[in-house]
Amino acid sequence: MPAHPRAHPTRRALLKAGGVGLLTFTLGGSVVTLSPAEAQAAGVPLGALTQEEADTLAALGERLVPGSREAGVVPFVDSQLAASPADCMLMIQYLGVDPPFTPFYREGLAALDGAAEARHKLPFAKLKDAPAEALIDALAEGKVEGWAGPPPSFFYFVVRNDACDVTYGTVKGFEALGVPYAAHIMPPSEWGEPS
Amino acid sequence: MTALPTEKIDAVVVGSGAAGSHFAARLAQVGKRVAILEAGPAWENKDLVSSMLWARRLKGAVAPVLETGKDTVGYGFNSGHGVGGSSMHQYGVWPRLHTNDFRVKTLYGRSRDWPIGYADLQPYYDRVQEECGIAGNQRMESSQPPGAPYPMPPVPVSAQGRIVGHGFEAVGMKVSPLPLAVTTRAFRGRPPCMWDGWCDAGCPIGALANAQTIHLPQARAAGATLHPETEVVRILTDKSGKRATGVEAITKDGERVKVMADVVVLAAFTVQNPRLLFASATPQHPDGLANSSGMLGRFITTHGAAPIFGLHEKETTPGFGALGGQLLNQEHYDDKNAHAEQGAFGSYQWMIAHAVKPNGLLGIAPSRPDLRGKALSDFMQRATRHIITMTGVVEDEALAENRVTLSSRKDALGVPLATVAHTSSKEPVALWDTAVAEGLKVFKAAGASEAWHTPRAPMHIMGGTVMGKSPGDSVTNSYGQAHDLPNLFIAGAGLFPTSGGVNPTFTLHALAARSTEYLVKNWNSAIG
Repeated sequence: MPAHPRAHPTRRALLKAGGVGLLTFTLGGSVVTLSPAEAQAAGVPLGALTQEEADTLAALGERLVPGSREAGVVPFVDSQLAASPADCMLMIQYLGVDPPFTPFYREGLAALDGAAEARHKLPFAKLKDAPAEALIDALAEGKVEGWAGPPPSFFYFVVRNDACDVTYGTVKGFEALGVPYAAHIMPPSEWGEPS
Repeated sequence: MTALPTEKIDAVVVGSGAAGSHFAARLAQVGKRVAILEAGPAWENKDLVSSMLWARRLKGAVAPVLETGKDTVGYGFNSGHGVGGSSMHQYGVWPRLHTNDFRVKTLYGRSRDWPIGYADLQPYYDRVQEECGIAGNQRMESSQPPGAPYPMPPVPVSAQGRIVGHGFEAVGMKVSPLPLAVTTRAFRGRPPCMWDGWCDAGCPIGALANAQTIHLPQARAAGATLHPETEVVRILTDKSGKRATGVEAITKDGERVKVMADVVVLAAFTVQNPRLLFASATPQHPDGLANSSGMLGRFITTHGAAPIFGLHEKETTPGFGALGGQLLNQEHYDDKNAHAEQGAFGSYQWMIAHAVKPNGLLGIAPSRPDLRGKALSDFMQRATRHIITMTGVVEDEALAENRVTLSSRKDALGVPLATVAHTSSKEPVALWDTAVAEGLKVFKAAGASEAWHTPRAPMHIMGGTVMGKSPGDSVTNSYGQAHDLPNLFIAGAGLFPTSGGVNPTFTLHALAARSTEYLVKNWNSAIG
């Protein structure tokens, strides 16, 4: 028996072993591989977040970065949170937050919904334009009354960057901006998962 | 996977980054039996996927690093994860330190002195640049110290570089080609760079002088063995406490092993080196190995990055070029009191016209965190064609209280985590403010319709195992040889007594070239 068995194979190792290139999801009892956008369209079950949290994330992401819902901000973030922190591709992995990262998102999304409920008796995803934008203004400024989550402006920064990553940082995203991707090693999926 | 040596070898190297691979190559090439132990995974060229998302896997640590203080050092962003270490995601900006950088205490009464001067290091800078290849134009660098001409012509200047260069000229400042460890022509079997700006994701074609391109192949060709996912947890010493005998490590299968060697080279990055030395305390070294001076972990420094952005009416093709930039300005570098009236002290340089991608921490979208919704979409459409960029590299002050200590928390292998405390003194912050004001003025002079900056951010981590003349106030001598254990060598930017205002990789290579030459010549006295 080894003295310190490593906990479990990393996601990267599993992907290598399976020779697959995309995110792996369990759908209808079988494992499938999809890009975040495909996963969003297919309604893939969540691995780390609850449906309520996913709805809040999608609504916030879309208001920050138009197109991020369709680009798959929810499956992107959720799948990264469900993976080993060592393999995490979210920007949070180098922003000084202690892994695992799911509590950061969970507490931030709950605090946002809590603030929306306190102001309008609705979850954030159900807010109309004006109250939602006013709440995001307060979030960005770090001034949300009764906020009980990670520092609000930092939470805004992190989710905004996740939404930017999945919207602009892919081959499709570059295409939409009219920017040549010009890869040395082409990402085998939309957002760069290695084969 | 190559089996770990079971018999005593000549040298065990902890860490496979720039410094460790350099040591391994030089020692193996003179016939020493060398094993390199790397805590992180192996990367192959095909893993270096062109994506700012994938690039993040090259950063961070196997065990988390805790950070405290007002101005944290950004360990996760600045460190490396896996074979090649942080050299895998360096941008290849390789200026030399200047003459005054080595005598800061003597000249200005602040920070510290180095135990050597520029003249001691110059031949090694020259040797390293010939081996690794630097593109630039020495004659155009008005303030660089003397040295051999660069072996390759400068990086091409794009519209972005020309626009910002004109801005500098308009305010009476000169620019020169940025010295880059990137191939501008075929060089020693390496192809020329394609200038597609993906340096942050590693360089799979070998254009940028990373460990996996330069020293790891040399080390392996000379017989050194490389052992990824093998995490060193302790440096072993003999009963006298005066000699290192090897290291204890945990393999990826969880097996606890000992690798015994005549020489131990600690090259596990700035923060992990003191962590391991503290964690290897013995009754003879109750405060940590190589710490009789009490200086272990102290004088951690980090450059304050001053990122400047602007929008220009002309198209700037900002996605292409080298991520490190195209042009250099070191206008005030040689007078660290040039901005004393502003309460500033130290030196800084500008790296001008970076290749910049839409996303990523240094990318276009995060440069305007205030924008969202349609305003962000509109900005992205415009900025991906019209943005101009540069970054100031601002000197830190070496302070004893900025230090690495052990946390009461432990990692999965039972080793206490490192805590890094860093709070800047007033002068480097004032120097950063001065640099930002100058940068915005340059961009306005360049014709930017708007110019802005992002907050002060930590770039590069140095110190923690500083070299010095006296065993009483430093951890190693000028060769990185521990004062307390002559067969323990420390390598990397952790040796730097002060940060200077230039990128550290060239200097850590020059130190490694000097240290390995010394070690090979003095092998018998070192091993005792």
